[in-house]
Amino acid sequence: MNSTKALISAALFATVSFTAGCDTQPVKANACIPPQGHDLDVAVSQSKSDLSDVCGFQFNAYLERLMNIAESDPKPANKEKFSEFLLWSNQAGLLSKQQAKSIYNRYFNVKYVSLMGDYNNCSLTCPKQQEVLANMERELLDKERGLVKISRDTSGYQRADRLLKETELVLEATCTACGAN
Amino acid sequence: MSTPSKFNLSDSTGLQPFSALVLAWMLLFAIPTQAANTPTLKLFPTTVLEDIRHTGSVAKEMESGLQEVISRLDQQQQLIIDSKCEEADDDPGCAQLNKQLGATYLEMLNIMESNLPTMEQAVETTRKSLAKRLRKELGNGMTPWSLQENLLGGQSGKQASQTRPSLRGRSGMRLSDRFSQYYKLVSNSSSSQGSSMAVIASDIYLDMEETSDLIARTRQEISRATLMGQLNQSFGTITPEMQEVVSGVKAILFGDPESEMPLAAPPTTADSTAYQSPLSL
Repeated sequence: MNSTKALISAALFATVSFTAGCDTQPVKANACIPPQGHDLDVAVSQSKSDLSDVCGFQFNAYLERLMNIAESDPKPANKEKFSEFLLWSNQAGLLSKQQAKSIYNRYFNVKYVSLMGDYNNCSLTCPKQQEVLANMERELLDKERGLVKISRDTSGYQRADRLLKETELVLEATCTACGAN
Repeated sequence: MSTPSKFNLSDSTGLQPFSALVLAWMLLFAIPTQAANTPTLKLFPTTVLEDIRHTGSVAKEMESGLQEVISRLDQQQQLIIDSKCEEADDDPGCAQLNKQLGATYLEMLNIMESNLPTMEQAVETTRKSLAKRLRKELGNGMTPWSLQENLLGGQSGKQASQTRPSLRGRSGMRLSDRFSQYYKLVSNSSSSQGSSMAVIASDIYLDMEETSDLIARTRQEISRATLMGQLNQSFGTITPEMQEVVSGVKAILFGDPESEMPLAAPPTTADSTAYQSPLSL
């Protein structure tokens, strides 16, 4: 009899404990929907919360939405906010350091990540000169977004534009010279 | 009797022989090490500068020889148009004008023929020496990343805009003036302006390529045109092909105003206090 009581008590305790556990940790209804609104700080905060939970696979969509929000209120401080967000993404394990650098520099730096490599220009850049320049042109569009539309850094964008033109000229001459013996 | 010490200097200053050697070594290598920290482009050594200057004077000589003939050719052609000689083949006056035009044309070809080889040689020498420097310094001596760092100049945009010479484009001015401008740009700029130098060297080199090609084609054309000119002298006419040669000569020497276009955009300024991300490359 005693043993039956003990069993019933144990079952009740387990049920109560289970229910109580559900009460203290409610199940989140997170559909990984990127933030709405126009406040970048709030959006970044919500994105961090979502991404650190179960929405990491939606990183690109969140980043895209943050950029859209930043475009609605362009200012120089936005550059720093994106830098911090990307650094956080790296620390949270969503991006490698290299990926974070690549994204930041593609949008917010004057220099081109499309023009990189560890070997000399004659052997690395010249064989794919047109491809490199086409990639740089595409990157300039992203720089326009990051520097002008998000950070209101028109002088930075102009420097990037000039750098592309000069690179085009210098590569044309250098690659002709590399091929001429 | 004491033998003279090898290290008298160090003895007198109280330094040990080994310390003196280290000091001497440091003094010897101090300057090159410092220079190595701030790489400069050696795109325009004295030999290249001299080639550019020489090409400019050869071009000037050729221009002065041809200018008078070409302007006479233009006048005669205008006279033929004004006299409506194109529609009056039988007119003796027009025949005379055409004959004079043909003779002037042949005179121009003769001057070209005697001057072009020197010009071709000068352009070719400059082109080759620049190709060698570009290949060594920018092609084999730099990675894509170091190239763009060099073009940006490693200084703020404001500073760059103050020191960067602006190019006026390769066409639309006399050949000799172009070389004179190149020479001034290169010789007046300090070696610290590596970024500008890379652009200027590339611009001059591509100009040399273009000019070299034009000269080669003109030389080929001259032999054909001379024969045609001699033949046409008896008929007293100037053909469209001859006209093309004249235009080609003008384009090489006096520029092609239609293709005049600034090469580089105006310098820009940048805020030196701008945010620097730890992610910046």
